[in-house]
Amino acid sequence: MKGAEVISLFSEILQGDEMIVSSNGNVSRQAFHLLNKPHIYLRGSMGLPLSVGLGLSLSQPENKVIVITGDGNFLMGLGSLTTIAHFSPENLRIIILDNEVYATTGGQPTVSSTINYKLLMEGSGVENVVSLTSINNEKEVKKSLVKLLKQEGLQMLHIKVERDDIKLANIDWHPTEITKKFHFGHKIHFKSS
Amino acid sequence: MIDSILFLEYMKKKNYSLAIGVPCSYFNNLLIELERSSEILYVPATREDEAIGIASGYYFGGEKSFVIMQNSGLGNIGDALTSLAQLYGIPMLIFVSYRGLKEDDDFPEHSIMGEITENLLESMKIPFSVLEEEGWQKSLSLLIDKSIKKNQPVCLLIKKGVFG
Repeated sequence: MKGAEVISLFSEILQGDEMIVSSNGNVSRQAFHLLNKPHIYLRGSMGLPLSVGLGLSLSQPENKVIVITGDGNFLMGLGSLTTIAHFSPENLRIIILDNEVYATTGGQPTVSSTINYKLLMEGSGVENVVSLTSINNEKEVKKSLVKLLKQEGLQMLHIKVERDDIKLANIDWHPTEITKKFHFGHKIHFKSS
Repeated sequence: MIDSILFLEYMKKKNYSLAIGVPCSYFNNLLIELERSSEILYVPATREDEAIGIASGYYFGGEKSFVIMQNSGLGNIGDALTSLAQLYGIPMLIFVSYRGLKEDDDFPEHSIMGEITENLLESMKIPFSVLEEEGWQKSLSLLIDKSIKKNQPVCLLIKKGVFG
């Protein structure tokens, strides 16, 4: 499967009230065009989707927070894996779409091909880890995505995907609009002080 | 010296419920009290940019947090500020220890960042002030208001001894 196909498949499974954080580049564009709206589409801050997801999960304990990231982005902020494992928010889910390249910038390789994701994540202290290392198993991917949403507690799902991904148009919301629309769409209000 | 307990009570009153940081000896007392606090959760970040990411996510969820770091960490957060916190309009308070001044003569690792700290913040368009012990509540309050009104991160530079 291609990364965009996994995201499309995911859109059929989502309940609709989840809060999603997507990593900058192709993944955010795909999340923007293929999923319901609004979510947090990161447009820059490479390496920070997990940390943003952690912060969001801590302030929204009643809601499910899902981070969708590519492997390049995940590896740039690898430390956040350990921070998340330590605090282990019940409502947080991490999906890594691993095509072993920086696809947005032209397909330059990452070092992902030598990583054992299951060992990496379990070794960091995450209990619920699934790593799908063979490409094109749509049935398996769907089963794992369903489980990711249904099963309780922090979970991480690593999926190997094809390098040749689907390119979509840029996001036409300015970042300040993304913030405002997310707050409005998810009925997030602020305490006054 | 600003009493760390009073400081945290003040922050709680201002609805800050999370602190994220990378430690500095200048913040020792404050970090001890943060670990003890049942009202403000403390998350030790692996890097300063991770702290900015967590604070940003926390605000996306409708809550306020503050960040703690050394000024060396300013070298790590350029992208987190310019392409996330500033770009998405996220108010947050960043407490930065002002290393590399006279008292740090024996620590050359801080000397260059100490020299350029204020210029760097100006270049990054981050409003800042040096927090003084006298009248700290007022200066903090002014900066918090600015941060919220303008939806942007602001920085407080903390010299040695200010937090004990």
